[in-house]
Amino acid sequence: MIGFKQSPWIIHYDASSCNGCDIETLACLTPLFDVERLGVINTGNPKHADIFLVTGAVNEQSRDVIRNIYHQLPEPKVVIAIGACAASGGIFSECYNISGGVDSVIPVDVYVPGCAARPEAIIDGVVQALGVLEKKQKEMTSLANSLDQALYLRAEKSDAPEILALQKTAYQSEAEIYGDDSLPALQQTLEELQTEFDRPEQVFLKTVVNGKIIGSARGHAVQDTAYLGRVIVHPYFRGRGIGRRLVEEIEKAFPNAKRFEVKTGHRSERNLFQFRQQGYEQFKTEPFTPAITWVYLQKERP
Amino acid sequence: MSPWIRLLVYLVAAPIVGGLLAGWDRRISARMQSRLGPPILQPFYDVLKLWQKENVVVRRSQNYYIFFFLLLAIFTGALFFAGSDLLLVIFALTLAAIFFVLGAYKASSPYSFIGAERELIQMMAYEPMVLLTAIGMYMVTKSFSVDEIAGHGRLLVLALPGVFLGFLYILEIKFRKSPFDLSCSHHAHQELVRGLITEFSGRTLAMIEIAHWYESVFLLGWIYLFFASMPVLGIAMSLLVFVLVILVDNVFARLKWQTALKSAWLVAAVLGFGNILVLSLLR
Repeated sequence: MIGFKQSPWIIHYDASSCNGCDIETLACLTPLFDVERLGVINTGNPKHADIFLVTGAVNEQSRDVIRNIYHQLPEPKVVIAIGACAASGGIFSECYNISGGVDSVIPVDVYVPGCAARPEAIIDGVVQALGVLEKKQKEMTSLANSLDQALYLRAEKSDAPEILALQKTAYQSEAEIYGDDSLPALQQTLEELQTEFDRPEQVFLKTVVNGKIIGSARGHAVQDTAYLGRVIVHPYFRGRGIGRRLVEEIEKAFPNAKRFEVKTGHRSERNLFQFRQQGYEQFKTEPFTPAITWVYLQKERP
Repeated sequence: MSPWIRLLVYLVAAPIVGGLLAGWDRRISARMQSRLGPPILQPFYDVLKLWQKENVVVRRSQNYYIFFFLLLAIFTGALFFAGSDLLLVIFALTLAAIFFVLGAYKASSPYSFIGAERELIQMMAYEPMVLLTAIGMYMVTKSFSVDEIAGHGRLLVLALPGVFLGFLYILEIKFRKSPFDLSCSHHAHQELVRGLITEFSGRTLAMIEIAHWYESVFLLGWIYLFFASMPVLGIAMSLLVFVLVILVDNVFARLKWQTALKSAWLVAAVLGFGNILVLSLLR
């Protein structure tokens, strides 16, 4: 596809480099090497960048920054580790505060060797990253195109981190509706989610496309009633029947339940609409915070 | 040419011409810095890429504002090239800019916030001169209609040299070029990250880019209006002015917003208003 190969925008972050690799990286932008002739722009803004250049080993202070920048880069994105330190920790690898190369925090696609890495090598690394970028873009498109082959499976406890990340992404739209990011779903920690897996009569479902979880739902049964909750779908793939299918699947997962119950916020029109379409009826409301009133919906098994 | 055909030509050709101008801009800038520079088609590659990227937003509603910014930027130029009322064109231009600022405000990040505030200051800086330009053209041609101004027999610039120079001054602000790249600089590593457009990505960023293409064609069209009685000279001058803008961008450092505002108003008062005063006294 035209575009990705011609327009790699980069963001450069110095994790804990001695500045050797940084100077060589910035040297690429100078008149001598001028990477702008390849369409490269040094953006300084992760939201505009495609390629994340990291120099230096990862220490306690830079770990969170790297993770943060990485998550702010829009998909598809590529990470290049520049220099020996970024690749493996280099001569600092055994220091008490160094956790190793960049790949100890985020997935790295291209490694540029050298101490310091030469500008020619860095440019070569960027050019190789373009191939990876194009491949990822194709994968992303095929993900969107193979939604009809989505699998609805029971989630394992090992899926918890991925489900939690998805939950936090999916609930952003809810936080926006209520102007409040203190929703329980956004505050949940990994430990809390993992303990949910251990509850008796608990069912966790996941929607998997090309090996990635794009939707999830959970529920637990108490006597005859199954309480459903957290039907989440990645914002990209909404409005394509995944949520509806998840509810159907989780109802099937409780063959003995006579009654299903679910709750949602009073202003979440989409959720209310979907549940009503699937035969749920409102039976009570309960104030939760000044901004949110829970609406409880129920459905009897026919 | 009938207004409808002109409108159609504008809608199709403006993004192509605007994109080529943007590519040319980057190329000339690179040459001025003794670099090779990107290919002329670079802006098109950028937009194509951005169109396929994920759209990360703080609030989804910020994208609607940008959509309306694009729509109104196209509308502004459409009114202009269809030969409509110049005052209406200015109104649409301001509205487009306001939508852009609202979009940046909606993103509620400190960078885009300050960018939006500075953009409002820049609007305050250029708005008087834009109005004076329209008034000056009215003084000479006795009409606000772009069609009639373009059809005027004499070279407008001869009667309006001060207004023309003043318009050149605010053109730097409108193109967000140095020394007035306060709200969002084209160059990385400034204090506001990317100011106004920090929080936009993917398709929305591509829309902003396309809106700029339409806008630059419209602004250069206005330069053409000063030379409308000699079309070849008009086109040559528009391009020359564009090169001048790039030259100034590369030569000057950024000004403080106070200086930008004061100097723009001073220019509007002395060159713009002075020119109009002389015109009315000579009559």
